[in-house]
Amino acid sequence: MDDYTDSDWNWEFYEELVDDVDENKNIIQCISCGKCVGDCPAAKVSNFNSRKIIMKVLRGDKSVLKDSDIWYCYLCERCKRVCPKENINIPLLIINLRNESFRKGYGPKYSNLRKYVEMSERFLTQGTVVENPLGGTLPQERVDEIYEICNFARIKYVFKASKSDQSKKNKKKTK
Amino acid sequence: MHFNNLVLDLQEIKKKYPENPLEFFKGKKLCLFKACLEKYFPGVRWGFQDLLEELQLDVSICKDQSCCSGTFFQRNLITRAQFSAINERNLSEMNRQADIVLVSCNGCYNSLLRGRDFLKNTEVRNKTQKILNSVKKKADGEKYPGMYDILENPKLKVVHDLDFLYLIRDDLVNALKFDLKGLKVAVHYGCHYLNLSRDKKNVEDFLESKTKLEELVELFGGVPVDYKERESCCGWGASQLLINPHEALKITYNKLKSAENVEADFILMPCPTCLYTLSKPEYREKIEEWFNEKLEIPTIHLNELIAILQGCEEDRCITLRRKTPRLEEIFEIITQQ
Repeated sequence: MDDYTDSDWNWEFYEELVDDVDENKNIIQCISCGKCVGDCPAAKVSNFNSRKIIMKVLRGDKSVLKDSDIWYCYLCERCKRVCPKENINIPLLIINLRNESFRKGYGPKYSNLRKYVEMSERFLTQGTVVENPLGGTLPQERVDEIYEICNFARIKYVFKASKSDQSKKNKKKTK
Repeated sequence: MHFNNLVLDLQEIKKKYPENPLEFFKGKKLCLFKACLEKYFPGVRWGFQDLLEELQLDVSICKDQSCCSGTFFQRNLITRAQFSAINERNLSEMNRQADIVLVSCNGCYNSLLRGRDFLKNTEVRNKTQKILNSVKKKADGEKYPGMYDILENPKLKVVHDLDFLYLIRDDLVNALKFDLKGLKVAVHYGCHYLNLSRDKKNVEDFLESKTKLEELVELFGGVPVDYKERESCCGWGASQLLINPHEALKITYNKLKSAENVEADFILMPCPTCLYTLSKPEYREKIEEWFNEKLEIPTIHLNELIAILQGCEEDRCITLRRKTPRLEEIFEIITQQ
């Protein structure tokens, strides 16, 4: 593990995250046993290491927000099952860190993820993630509700970005 | 505000109906939660619906139910409050028409419970109600009382299809026309069934080993086979397959290969998202390209298997799955007289 001294401990970042998601306070119980890493599917195929991520947060090391590692978590909740401590919710912490990373502009660009753009568009215009779902489409008033619920969410920016890309492409075609 | 547990209490049913738990469901209104990916595997819905109707249960679909939105929450595209608001609207619509909602997808099952879990936090709950109020305002009033309120002690209960099928297994076996004829079956539970704590009453239930699928396979006349990657993820990993496909497909490859190594005839699972990942022809082709191995082990959802064992027409239960390797071979073996 990286070398840290007592003076490296900094609770500011941890407090910010707890302020945002109350449940994050439980990561203070982490005993760094590494069971979460041993059983983690992401750790088997990438550098994702939940123990190191928790340590960085507790030490106030905000570089974790720039680490590509946090984007490799499978959110499978295996770590919750093998953790000897109760109520440490690593998947929720990861989702929270990704949110912070997005806010600071470090997250991946969703416009590069064609599939996600398509899924977001279908969800906001049809209420499902697939075209022509089994059993029929959702009534329009329910679709309108979903659109309203998602106000100011990233999903709308993804949707709008896709519309803007499409209109640019169409303009190019007509030139 | 008190939040009662949405999960159907199976222990309580077993206590009250030790001989015939199916009796508990008679006369109750059941609703099948529409998982988006059932579109690619209609047998998952139809097979299950056929069974419930044959067991003379009152079953319906809720036309006002949307996608659970779990995929968007997990990719940070909507907030916890927005996710909970979408979930509450679904629960509210289903609560009006049913007593019990049955779920065929681990992801949807997790979403339904997680959305309620988030509401235990006062800040999220207040934000969720604020969102619902704004929807109510835009929608020009409400069609029924409480339509846009967070549900307090709803009568609706949620149960995963696997838990339901296991509970009524004696009646289930009696409703089947065929058996598995000794086929070797590798089971895959899927992470959001295997690792979920939200639906458990205590930590012992959460940590105990899960064996319901293996027990059902034995009851169906098959042989469950253990394999190294039994508890591993399918590779979907909350869309990792779209974002980091090489790493994600390595996990899929390991799973399929491990089941082939023990000579399983097919992999059985209770989730259409896992099924999509483990069976999609394009993913199998990529696996061959990237890991130099052609893997042909068939994959089947538990509800599809029930449909086949019930003697459902091939067109109805596996019609869209003709590209799945060797699935027809398994269908032929099971349905031969």
